[in-house]
Amino acid sequence: MQNLQKNNASEKEKPDLKGTFVSVMILGILIVVSWIGAFALFLSR
Amino acid sequence: MIMHLHKYEKIWLIFGIGSLIVFLVVLGYGAFWQGTHPQSHGVTIDPNNIESNEAFKPENLGLTKVSDDKYIVNIAASAFFYDFGKDEEGKTVNHIRIPKGSTVLFQVATKDVVHGFHVAGTNVNMMVEPGYVSSLETVMDKPGTYTVVCNEYCGLGHHLMYATVEVYE
Ligand SMILES: [Cu+2]
Repeated sequence: MQNLQKNNASEKEKPDLKGTFVSVMILGILIVVSWIGAFALFLSR
Repeated sequence: MIMHLHKYEKIWLIFGIGSLIVFLVVLGYGAFWQGTHPQSHGVTIDPNNIESNEAFKPENLGLTKVSDDKYIVNIAASAFFYDFGKDEEGKTVNHIRIPKGSTVLFQVATKDVVHGFHVAGTNVNMMVEPGYVSSLETVMDKPGTYTVVCNEYCGLGHHLMYATVEVYE
């Protein structure tokens, strides 16, 4: 917490995008995994 | 401009654009080096007279052996039936047998509406549109009996449209 506050102060109130980052990556990985799954099915048949 | 990007934004942009590049490279490799393309690739036919095409003359329908491990299967689709021709006894063929490891070229045309042609469990899955010849070549290397189904709703008897392909050792 203290670290965060220090950062915020020094970097001119940058938005906290941690939650956004995690949700974006979860969605991205889901898309990639489902694409790889469909592609693997195509290759194996 | 780049300077104002948040560190996380850079990461997910690289991830997103990277995924897109990988996807396009795989797609491009398939399309340009391996010849993957839509199954009805501009080969036209008169839907009211598909017999005018050599492949769809009644005597040429069904399984034909081209060479030791090469086969051609011509099918005339119509509501609600796949015409694989007739056997020596004059009976309607609804089941074909292909030895394992054969290269098989499926050619399908429809006499009426849009039909599907899916050898379930394989990549032989085509849309059959009036006016076009759908074709797909594949190596049948897994033994088993596959059901050919119509997967484009074509009318009341849609579910009655099927045949079987047997791959034997
Ligand atoms: Cu159908």
